[in-house]
Amino acid sequence: MPREHPIGRVEDFPESGHRVVRVANRELGVFNIRGSFHALPNLCPHQRGPLCEGDVSGTLDCGPHTDWKLAWIWEGEVVTCPWHALEFHVPTGRCVAFDHIRLRTYEVRVADGELRVVI
Amino acid sequence: MATDVSPAEAAAARRETLADLFVVDADVHVHEDPAALAEYADPPWDVGLREIAKVEERYLDLPGVSPRAEYRVPFPGGSNRRQIVTSAQELRAGLDDLHVDQAVLFPDHLLSLAMVRDPAFAATLARSYNRWLHEHWLTEDRSLKGALVIAPQAPAAGAADIRRHAGRGEFVCVYLPAAGLKVLYGHELYDPVYAAAADAGLPVVIHSVEAVYPAFPFQLEQFRTSLAVHALAHPLSMVANLVSMLETGVHVRHPELKIGFMEAGTAWVPFLANRLDKEYVERRREVPLLQERPSRTMRRFFYGTQPIEEPERRADVVALFELFDGENQAMFASDWPHHDFDHPQHVFGLPFSREARRKIMGLNAARFFGLDVSA
Repeated sequence: MPREHPIGRVEDFPESGHRVVRVANRELGVFNIRGSFHALPNLCPHQRGPLCEGDVSGTLDCGPHTDWKLAWIWEGEVVTCPWHALEFHVPTGRCVAFDHIRLRTYEVRVADGELRVVI
Repeated sequence: MATDVSPAEAAAARRETLADLFVVDADVHVHEDPAALAEYADPPWDVGLREIAKVEERYLDLPGVSPRAEYRVPFPGGSNRRQIVTSAQELRAGLDDLHVDQAVLFPDHLLSLAMVRDPAFAATLARSYNRWLHEHWLTEDRSLKGALVIAPQAPAAGAADIRRHAGRGEFVCVYLPAAGLKVLYGHELYDPVYAAAADAGLPVVIHSVEAVYPAFPFQLEQFRTSLAVHALAHPLSMVANLVSMLETGVHVRHPELKIGFMEAGTAWVPFLANRLDKEYVERRREVPLLQERPSRTMRRFFYGTQPIEEPERRADVVALFELFDGENQAMFASDWPHHDFDHPQHVFGLPFSREARRKIMGLNAARFFGLDVSA
Protein backbone atom coordinates (compact mmCIF):
# COMPACT_ATOMS: atom_id res chain seq x y z
CA MET A 1 0.00 0.00 0.00
CA PRO A 2 1.60 3.31 -1.05
CA ARG A 3 2.30 5.62 1.82
CA GLU A 4 3.09 9.33 2.13
CA HIS A 5 6.55 10.10 3.51
CA PRO A 6 7.26 13.69 4.62
CA ILE A 7 10.47 15.11 3.15
CA GLY A 8 10.45 18.75 4.30
CA ARG A 9 8.73 22.10 4.07
CA VAL A 10 7.64 23.49 0.73
CA GLU A 11 9.91 26.51 1.22
CA ASP A 12 12.89 24.13 1.39
CA PHE A 13 12.29 23.28 -2.29
CA PRO A 14 12.28 26.62 -4.14
CA GLU A 15 11.22 26.92 -7.74
CA SER A 16 13.83 25.77 -10.32
CA GLY A 17 15.76 24.02 -7.58
CA HIS A 18 16.30 20.39 -6.81
CA ARG A 19 18.04 18.35 -4.18
CA VAL A 20 18.56 14.79 -3.06
CA VAL A 21 16.66 13.47 -0.03
CA ARG A 22 16.85 10.16 1.80
CA VAL A 23 13.47 8.66 2.42
CA ALA A 24 12.19 5.13 3.08
CA ASN A 25 15.62 3.62 2.44
CA ARG A 26 15.90 5.36 -0.89
CA GLU A 27 17.73 8.35 -2.30
CA LEU A 28 15.45 10.48 -4.39
CA GLY A 29 16.01 13.69 -6.30
CA VAL A 30 13.16 16.13 -5.66
CA PHE A 31 12.60 18.82 -8.27
CA ASN A 32 10.48 21.96 -8.24
CA ILE A 33 9.68 22.80 -11.85
CA ARG A 34 7.57 25.96 -12.06
CA GLY A 35 5.82 25.10 -8.80
CA SER A 36 5.19 21.47 -9.68
CA PHE A 37 7.06 18.84 -7.72
CA HIS A 38 8.66 15.69 -9.12
CA ALA A 39 10.83 12.95 -7.68
CA LEU A 40 13.19 10.48 -9.38
CA PRO A 41 15.62 7.85 -8.06
CA ASN A 42 19.12 9.24 -7.50
CA LEU A 43 20.59 6.39 -9.49
CA CYS A 44 21.55 6.49 -13.14
CA PRO A 45 20.83 3.18 -14.93
CA HIS A 46 23.95 3.64 -17.08
CA GLN A 47 26.82 3.08 -14.61
CA ARG A 48 24.92 3.76 -11.37
CA GLY A 49 26.03 7.36 -10.98
CA PRO A 50 24.29 9.85 -8.63
CA LEU A 51 21.95 11.14 -11.31
CA CYS A 52 20.09 13.78 -9.32
CA GLU A 53 23.26 15.47 -8.13
CA GLY A 54 23.56 16.71 -11.70
CA ASP A 55 22.48 20.07 -13.05
CA VAL A 56 19.06 20.84 -14.49
CA SER A 57 18.77 22.56 -17.85
CA GLY A 58 16.92 22.26 -21.12
CA THR A 59 18.18 20.20 -24.02
CA LEU A 60 18.51 20.23 -27.78
CA ASP A 61 16.10 18.55 -30.15
CA CYS A 62 15.86 18.10 -33.90
CA GLY A 63 13.67 16.14 -36.28
CA PRO A 64 10.74 16.42 -38.63
CA HIS A 65 8.75 17.98 -35.78
CA THR A 66 11.29 20.83 -35.58
CA ASP A 67 11.51 21.14 -39.34
CA TRP A 68 14.99 19.60 -39.07
CA LYS A 69 16.24 22.65 -37.21
CA LEU A 70 18.01 22.55 -33.87
CA ALA A 71 15.64 23.55 -31.10
CA TRP A 72 16.17 24.20 -27.39
CA ILE A 73 13.43 22.37 -25.51
CA TRP A 74 12.34 21.39 -22.00
CA GLU A 75 14.11 24.31 -20.31
CA GLY A 76 14.37 23.50 -16.60
CA GLU A 77 13.08 19.95 -17.06
CA VAL A 78 16.16 17.89 -17.88
CA VAL A 79 18.56 16.51 -15.30
CA THR A 80 22.02 15.44 -16.49
CA CYS A 81 23.97 12.74 -14.69
CA PRO A 82 27.23 14.17 -13.36
CA TRP A 83 29.12 11.01 -14.27
CA HIS A 84 28.56 10.64 -18.01
CA ALA A 85 25.98 13.30 -18.90
CA LEU A 86 23.11 10.94 -19.71
CA GLU A 87 19.96 13.11 -19.72
CA PHE A 88 16.54 12.43 -18.23
CA HIS A 89 13.29 14.32 -18.62
CA VAL A 90 12.30 14.88 -15.02
CA PRO A 91 8.49 15.05 -15.27
CA THR A 92 8.26 11.73 -17.14
CA GLY A 93 11.45 9.96 -16.05
CA ARG A 94 12.19 9.37 -19.71
CA CYS A 95 15.79 8.93 -20.73
CA VAL A 96 16.36 11.43 -23.53
CA ALA A 97 18.92 9.30 -25.39
CA PHE A 98 17.25 5.89 -24.93
CA ASP A 99 13.51 6.21 -25.14
CA HIS A 100 12.88 2.71 -23.83
CA ILE A 101 14.52 3.54 -20.52
CA ARG A 102 12.09 5.10 -18.08
CA LEU A 103 12.95 5.88 -14.51
CA ARG A 104 10.35 5.33 -11.87
CA THR A 105 8.73 8.63 -10.98
CA TYR A 106 7.31 9.27 -7.54
CA GLU A 107 4.26 11.37 -6.83
CA VAL A 108 4.96 14.34 -4.59
CA ARG A 109 2.03 15.83 -2.67
CA VAL A 110 1.76 19.12 -0.79
CA ALA A 111 -0.25 19.18 2.42
CA ASP A 112 -0.14 21.72 5.25
CA GLY A 113 2.96 23.34 3.77
CA GLU A 114 4.74 20.01 3.83
CA LEU A 115 6.07 17.97 0.92
CA ARG A 116 5.29 14.27 0.96
CA VAL A 117 6.56 11.69 -1.47
CA VAL A 118 4.34 8.71 -2.18
CA ILE A 119 6.14 5.39 -2.07
CA MET B 1 24.25 -29.91 5.79
CA ALA B 2 28.03 -30.38 5.86
CA THR B 3 29.83 -28.05 8.23
CA ASP B 4 33.41 -28.85 7.19
CA VAL B 5 34.22 -26.28 4.55
CA SER B 6 37.72 -25.75 3.27
CA PRO B 7 38.97 -22.16 3.12
CA ALA B 8 39.00 -22.40 -0.67
CA GLU B 9 35.39 -23.51 -0.74
CA ALA B 10 34.44 -20.81 1.71
CA ALA B 11 36.14 -18.22 -0.44
CA ALA B 12 34.41 -19.56 -3.52
CA ALA B 13 31.09 -19.45 -1.75
CA ARG B 14 31.53 -15.88 -0.71
CA ARG B 15 30.72 -13.51 -3.48
CA GLU B 16 33.85 -11.71 -4.64
CA THR B 17 33.58 -7.94 -4.63
CA LEU B 18 35.64 -5.25 -6.26
CA ALA B 19 37.27 -4.51 -2.89
CA ASP B 20 38.65 -8.09 -2.82
CA LEU B 21 40.61 -7.62 -6.04
CA PHE B 22 43.94 -6.04 -6.82
CA VAL B 23 42.76 -3.20 -9.03
CA VAL B 24 45.07 -1.26 -11.29
CA ASP B 25 43.77 1.73 -13.15
CA ALA B 26 45.93 1.94 -16.26
CA ASP B 27 44.85 5.46 -17.22
CA VAL B 28 44.06 8.36 -14.92
CA HIS B 29 44.78 12.01 -15.63
CA VAL B 30 46.45 14.72 -13.59
CA HIS B 31 45.98 18.39 -14.28
CA GLU B 32 49.19 20.19 -15.01
CA ASP B 33 49.40 23.86 -14.25
CA PRO B 34 51.57 25.99 -16.57
CA ALA B 35 52.84 28.08 -13.66
CA ALA B 36 54.01 24.92 -11.88
CA LEU B 37 55.72 23.60 -15.03
CA ALA B 38 57.45 26.99 -15.42
CA GLU B 39 59.42 26.23 -12.25
CA TYR B 40 61.10 23.35 -14.09
CA ALA B 41 61.31 24.81 -17.61
CA ASP B 42 64.46 25.88 -19.41
CA PRO B 43 64.77 29.60 -20.23
CA PRO B 44 63.19 31.33 -22.01
CA TRP B 45 60.27 28.89 -21.97
CA ASP B 46 59.69 29.48 -18.25
CA VAL B 47 58.81 33.08 -19.10
CA GLY B 48 56.37 31.93 -21.78
CA LEU B 49 54.73 29.42 -19.45
CA ARG B 50 54.14 32.11 -16.81
CA GLU B 51 52.45 34.20 -19.49
CA ILE B 52 50.29 31.24 -20.54
CA ALA B 53 49.32 30.78 -16.87
CA LYS B 54 47.51 34.14 -17.04
CA VAL B 55 45.14 32.85 -19.72
CA GLU B 56 41.89 31.30 -18.60
CA GLU B 57 41.92 27.65 -19.57
CA ARG B 58 39.05 25.44 -20.63
CA TYR B 59 38.74 21.67 -20.40
CA LEU B 60 41.83 20.21 -22.13
CA ASP B 61 42.18 23.48 -23.99
CA LEU B 62 44.98 25.91 -23.14
CA PRO B 63 46.43 28.27 -25.77
CA GLY B 64 50.04 27.51 -26.60
CA VAL B 65 50.14 24.23 -24.68
CA SER B 66 47.15 22.25 -25.89
CA PRO B 67 46.04 23.85 -29.17
CA ARG B 68 42.99 21.69 -29.67
CA ALA B 69 41.02 23.97 -32.02
CA GLU B 70 37.77 23.61 -30.14
CA TYR B 71 34.87 24.50 -32.42
CA ARG B 72 31.94 23.30 -30.37
CA VAL B 73 29.14 25.69 -29.51
CA PRO B 74 28.44 25.44 -25.78
CA PHE B 75 24.87 25.10 -24.51
CA PRO B 76 23.76 25.18 -20.88
CA GLY B 77 23.66 21.87 -19.06
CA GLY B 78 25.93 18.87 -19.35
CA SER B 79 27.87 17.20 -16.57
CA ASN B 80 28.59 19.38 -13.53
CA ARG B 81 31.22 16.98 -12.17
CA ARG B 82 34.74 18.32 -11.60
CA GLN B 83 36.78 16.76 -14.42
CA ILE B 84 40.28 17.72 -13.33
CA VAL B 85 42.45 16.61 -10.42
CA THR B 86 45.12 18.98 -9.11
CA SER B 87 46.86 17.14 -6.26
CA ALA B 88 48.02 13.67 -5.28
CA GLN B 89 45.78 13.78 -2.21
CA GLU B 90 42.73 14.67 -4.25
CA LEU B 91 43.51 11.92 -6.75
CA ARG B 92 44.09 9.31 -4.05
CA ALA B 93 40.75 10.18 -2.45
CA GLY B 94 38.99 9.79 -5.79
CA LEU B 95 40.72 6.47 -6.46
CA ASP B 96 39.79 5.22 -2.98
CA ASP B 97 36.15 5.79 -3.87
CA LEU B 98 36.74 3.75 -7.03
CA HIS B 99 38.51 0.89 -5.12
CA VAL B 100 41.65 1.41 -7.20
CA ASP B 101 44.86 0.14 -5.58
CA GLN B 102 47.43 1.50 -8.02
CA ALA B 103 47.06 3.92 -10.90
CA VAL B 104 49.12 5.08 -13.85
CA LEU B 105 49.12 8.85 -14.30
CA PHE B 106 48.82 10.52 -17.67
CA PRO B 107 48.64 14.28 -18.29
CA ASP B 108 45.73 16.53 -19.26
CA HIS B 109 47.04 19.30 -21.51
CA LEU B 110 50.04 17.30 -22.67
CA LEU B 111 47.64 14.89 -24.36
CA SER B 112 47.97 17.45 -27.15
CA LEU B 113 51.75 17.67 -26.95
CA ALA B 114 52.29 16.43 -30.53
CA MET B 115 50.50 19.55 -31.78
CA VAL B 116 52.92 21.98 -30.14
CA ARG B 117 54.81 23.50 -33.05
CA ASP B 118 58.21 24.35 -31.61
CA PRO B 119 60.16 21.16 -30.93
CA ALA B 120 62.29 22.87 -28.29
CA PHE B 121 59.21 24.04 -26.39
CA ALA B 122 57.62 20.60 -26.75
CA ALA B 123 60.74 18.95 -25.35
CA THR B 124 60.84 21.42 -22.45
CA LEU B 125 57.18 20.81 -21.68
CA ALA B 126 57.77 17.05 -21.53
CA ARG B 127 60.92 17.32 -19.43
CA SER B 128 59.34 19.83 -17.02
CA TYR B 129 56.21 17.76 -16.68
CA ASN B 130 58.18 14.61 -15.87
CA ARG B 131 60.13 16.36 -13.09
CA TRP B 132 56.99 18.05 -11.75
CA LEU B 133 55.07 14.77 -11.82
CA HIS B 134 57.87 12.98 -10.04
CA GLU B 135 58.20 15.53 -7.25
CA HIS B 136 54.57 16.45 -6.67
CA TRP B 137 52.71 13.21 -7.35
CA LEU B 138 54.83 10.06 -7.57
CA THR B 139 56.92 10.59 -4.46
CA GLU B 140 53.84 11.97 -2.67
CA ASP B 141 51.95 8.67 -2.92
CA ARG B 142 53.64 5.41 -3.89
CA SER B 143 50.43 3.93 -5.27
CA LEU B 144 50.55 6.56 -8.02
CA LYS B 145 52.77 5.55 -10.94
CA GLY B 146 53.93 7.77 -13.74
CA ALA B 147 53.72 7.66 -17.51
CA LEU B 148 56.86 9.43 -18.68
CA VAL B 149 56.00 11.92 -21.40
CA ILE B 150 58.15 12.31 -24.50
CA ALA B 151 57.68 14.90 -27.22
CA PRO B 152 57.52 13.14 -30.61
CA GLN B 153 58.92 16.34 -32.17
CA ALA B 154 62.19 15.75 -30.29
CA PRO B 155 62.92 12.01 -30.05
CA ALA B 156 66.54 12.43 -28.90
CA ALA B 157 65.43 14.63 -26.00
CA GLY B 158 62.76 12.07 -25.15
CA ALA B 159 65.29 9.24 -25.14
CA ALA B 160 67.57 11.27 -22.87
CA ASP B 161 64.70 11.90 -20.46
CA ILE B 162 63.86 8.18 -20.37
CA ARG B 163 67.48 7.39 -19.50
CA ARG B 164 67.48 10.17 -16.87
CA HIS B 165 64.53 8.62 -15.04
CA ALA B 166 65.39 4.97 -15.78
CA GLY B 167 65.69 2.65 -12.84
CA ARG B 168 63.32 4.65 -10.67
CA GLY B 169 60.26 2.63 -9.87
CA GLU B 170 58.05 5.70 -10.02
CA PHE B 171 57.73 5.74 -13.81
CA VAL B 172 56.20 2.57 -15.24
CA CYS B 173 55.79 3.39 -18.92
CA VAL B 174 56.62 5.89 -21.64
CA TYR B 175 53.64 7.78 -23.00
CA LEU B 176 53.57 8.49 -26.75
CA PRO B 177 51.10 11.28 -27.60
CA ALA B 178 49.11 10.42 -30.72
CA ALA B 179 46.74 13.34 -31.37
CA GLY B 180 48.03 15.57 -34.13
CA LEU B 181 51.09 13.40 -34.64
CA LYS B 182 52.91 14.41 -37.82
CA VAL B 183 55.03 11.28 -38.21
CA LEU B 184 53.40 8.02 -37.19
CA TYR B 185 55.08 5.87 -34.57
CA GLY B 186 56.33 3.26 -37.01
CA HIS B 187 58.99 5.64 -38.33
CA GLU B 188 62.63 4.87 -37.57
CA LEU B 189 63.15 8.38 -36.21
CA TYR B 190 61.56 7.11 -32.97
CA ASP B 191 64.09 4.28 -32.64
CA PRO B 192 66.08 6.16 -29.95
CA VAL B 193 62.92 6.38 -27.85
CA TYR B 194 62.14 2.70 -28.30
CA ALA B 195 65.73 1.67 -27.57
CA ALA B 196 65.80 3.78 -24.39
CA ALA B 197 62.44 2.43 -23.26
CA ALA B 198 63.46 -1.16 -23.91
CA ASP B 199 66.77 -0.62 -22.08
CA ALA B 200 64.90 0.88 -19.13
CA GLY B 201 62.41 -1.99 -19.14
CA LEU B 202 59.57 0.46 -19.70
CA PRO B 203 56.65 -0.31 -22.02
CA VAL B 204 55.37 2.37 -24.39
CA VAL B 205 51.73 3.42 -24.36
CA ILE B 206 50.04 5.27 -27.19
CA HIS B 207 47.27 7.60 -26.05
CA SER B 208 45.26 10.02 -28.16
CA VAL B 209 42.75 12.79 -27.45
CA GLU B 210 39.81 14.39 -29.20
CA ALA B 211 41.06 17.24 -31.34
CA VAL B 212 40.60 18.79 -34.74
CA TYR B 213 43.99 19.16 -36.31
CA PRO B 214 45.22 18.97 -39.88
CA ALA B 215 47.46 15.95 -39.43
CA PHE B 216 46.81 12.29 -40.14
CA PRO B 217 45.03 10.37 -38.68
CA PHE B 218 42.71 13.23 -37.88
CA GLN B 219 41.41 15.50 -40.63
CA LEU B 220 38.22 15.52 -38.66
CA GLU B 221 37.24 19.07 -39.55
CA GLN B 222 34.45 17.82 -41.80
CA PHE B 223 32.43 16.65 -38.83
CA ARG B 224 30.11 18.97 -36.94
CA THR B 225 29.77 17.32 -33.58
CA SER B 226 31.85 15.93 -30.76
CA LEU B 227 29.96 12.69 -31.16
CA ALA B 228 31.61 12.22 -34.54
CA VAL B 229 35.03 13.63 -33.71
CA HIS B 230 35.42 11.84 -30.39
CA ALA B 231 34.10 8.54 -31.78
CA LEU B 232 36.74 8.57 -34.50
CA ALA B 233 39.72 10.46 -33.05
CA HIS B 234 40.78 7.83 -30.53
CA PRO B 235 40.37 4.57 -32.47
CA LEU B 236 41.64 6.07 -35.74
CA SER B 237 44.79 7.20 -33.93
CA MET B 238 45.29 3.70 -32.58
CA VAL B 239 44.55 1.99 -35.89
CA ALA B 240 46.92 4.30 -37.79
CA ASN B 241 49.78 4.00 -35.34
CA LEU B 242 49.43 0.27 -34.83
CA VAL B 243 49.47 -0.33 -38.59
CA SER B 244 52.46 1.99 -38.95
CA MET B 245 54.38 0.20 -36.19
CA LEU B 246 53.47 -3.17 -37.58
CA GLU B 247 54.46 -2.44 -41.19
CA THR B 248 57.89 -1.16 -40.17
CA GLY B 249 58.29 -3.92 -37.58
CA VAL B 250 58.88 -1.87 -34.42
CA HIS B 251 58.21 -5.07 -32.47
CA VAL B 252 60.78 -6.91 -34.60
CA ARG B 253 63.44 -4.22 -34.31
CA HIS B 254 62.80 -3.89 -30.56
CA PRO B 255 61.74 -7.37 -29.47
CA GLU B 256 61.94 -6.53 -25.76
CA LEU B 257 59.62 -3.55 -26.09
CA LYS B 258 56.11 -3.93 -24.69
CA ILE B 259 53.49 -1.88 -26.51
CA GLY B 260 50.10 -0.71 -25.24
CA PHE B 261 47.16 1.22 -26.66
CA MET B 262 45.02 3.39 -24.42
CA GLU B 263 41.59 5.01 -24.43
CA ALA B 264 40.11 3.75 -27.66
CA GLY B 265 38.06 0.84 -26.30
CA THR B 266 38.85 -2.53 -27.84
CA ALA B 267 36.24 -3.19 -30.51
CA TRP B 268 38.67 -1.91 -33.16
CA VAL B 269 41.24 -4.59 -32.27
CA PRO B 270 39.52 -7.66 -33.79
CA PHE B 271 38.50 -5.59 -36.81
CA LEU B 272 42.08 -4.56 -37.48
CA ALA B 273 43.54 -7.99 -36.73
CA ASN B 274 41.22 -9.60 -39.27
CA ARG B 275 41.83 -6.91 -41.84
CA LEU B 276 45.62 -7.16 -41.54
CA ASP B 277 45.59 -10.95 -41.62
CA LYS B 278 43.68 -10.75 -44.86
CA GLU B 279 46.20 -8.32 -46.36
CA TYR B 280 49.09 -10.43 -45.11
CA VAL B 281 47.96 -13.36 -47.21
CA GLU B 282 48.42 -11.39 -50.40
CA ARG B 283 51.11 -8.86 -49.48
CA ARG B 284 53.49 -10.64 -47.15
CA ARG B 285 56.38 -9.96 -49.47
CA GLU B 286 56.07 -6.23 -48.70
CA VAL B 287 56.61 -6.91 -45.00
CA PRO B 288 59.05 -9.79 -44.96
CA LEU B 289 60.31 -8.84 -41.52
CA LEU B 290 57.00 -10.00 -40.12
CA GLN B 291 57.30 -13.65 -39.20
CA GLU B 292 53.69 -14.30 -38.33
CA ARG B 293 50.13 -13.26 -39.05
CA PRO B 294 49.58 -9.71 -37.78
CA SER B 295 46.83 -10.93 -35.46
CA ARG B 296 49.41 -13.05 -33.61
CA THR B 297 51.58 -9.99 -33.07
CA MET B 298 48.58 -7.96 -31.99
CA ARG B 299 47.83 -10.55 -29.33
CA ARG B 300 51.06 -9.59 -27.62
CA PHE B 301 50.12 -5.91 -27.45
CA PHE B 302 48.11 -4.62 -24.51
CA TYR B 303 44.89 -2.63 -24.63
CA GLY B 304 43.19 -0.35 -22.12
CA THR B 305 39.51 -1.14 -21.60
CA GLN B 306 38.24 2.41 -21.51
CA PRO B 307 35.83 3.45 -22.91
CA ILE B 308 34.39 -0.01 -22.30
CA GLU B 309 31.96 -1.06 -25.01
CA GLU B 310 28.32 -0.95 -23.92
CA PRO B 311 26.43 -3.22 -26.32
CA GLU B 312 22.75 -3.92 -25.77
CA ARG B 313 23.68 -7.48 -24.78
CA ARG B 314 26.31 -7.13 -22.07
CA ALA B 315 27.65 -10.61 -22.75
CA ASP B 316 28.83 -9.34 -26.14
CA VAL B 317 31.72 -7.65 -24.31
CA VAL B 318 32.92 -11.08 -23.19
CA ALA B 319 32.65 -12.34 -26.77
CA LEU B 320 34.55 -9.29 -27.97
CA PHE B 321 37.38 -9.91 -25.51
CA GLU B 322 37.66 -13.52 -26.67
CA LEU B 323 38.44 -12.24 -30.16
CA PHE B 324 41.71 -10.60 -29.11
CA ASP B 325 42.63 -12.56 -25.97
CA GLY B 326 41.43 -9.70 -23.82
CA GLU B 327 41.51 -12.01 -20.82
CA ASN B 328 45.30 -11.71 -20.93
CA GLN B 329 45.88 -8.48 -22.85
CA ALA B 330 43.18 -6.06 -21.65
CA MET B 331 43.88 -3.73 -18.75
CA PHE B 332 41.17 -1.98 -16.81
CA ALA B 333 41.41 1.78 -17.28
CA SER B 334 38.98 4.36 -15.94
CA ASP B 335 40.22 7.59 -17.57
CA TRP B 336 39.34 9.25 -14.25
CA PRO B 337 38.40 12.11 -13.86
CA HIS B 338 37.56 12.80 -17.49
CA HIS B 339 34.09 13.17 -18.94
CA ASP B 340 33.84 9.60 -20.25
CA PHE B 341 35.45 7.72 -17.35
CA ASP B 342 34.39 4.12 -16.64
CA HIS B 343 33.58 3.16 -13.08
CA PRO B 344 35.51 -0.04 -12.18
CA GLN B 345 32.34 -1.48 -10.68
CA HIS B 346 30.82 -1.46 -14.14
CA VAL B 347 33.68 -3.40 -15.75
CA PHE B 348 33.91 -5.68 -12.72
CA GLY B 349 30.21 -6.45 -13.11
CA LEU B 350 30.48 -7.71 -16.69
CA PRO B 351 29.95 -11.46 -17.07
CA PHE B 352 33.62 -12.46 -17.27
CA SER B 353 34.90 -15.59 -15.57
CA ARG B 354 36.31 -15.02 -12.12
CA GLU B 355 39.85 -15.63 -13.38
CA ALA B 356 39.46 -13.33 -16.38
CA ARG B 357 38.02 -10.62 -14.18
CA ARG B 358 41.04 -10.68 -11.86
CA LYS B 359 43.42 -10.41 -14.78
CA ILE B 360 41.53 -7.63 -16.50
CA MET B 361 41.02 -5.60 -13.34
CA GLY B 362 44.67 -5.64 -12.29
CA LEU B 363 46.95 -8.59 -12.99
CA ASN B 364 47.40 -7.89 -16.70
CA ALA B 365 48.39 -4.31 -15.93
CA ALA B 366 50.78 -5.54 -13.24
CA ARG B 367 52.43 -7.73 -15.87
CA PHE B 368 52.56 -4.94 -18.44
CA PHE B 369 53.78 -2.14 -16.16
CA GLY B 370 55.86 -4.36 -13.89
CA LEU B 371 53.89 -3.50 -10.76
CA ASP B 372 54.30 -5.17 -7.40
CA VAL B 373 51.05 -7.03 -6.79
CA SER B 374 51.73 -7.36 -3.06
CA ALA B 375 52.26 -3.59 -2.59
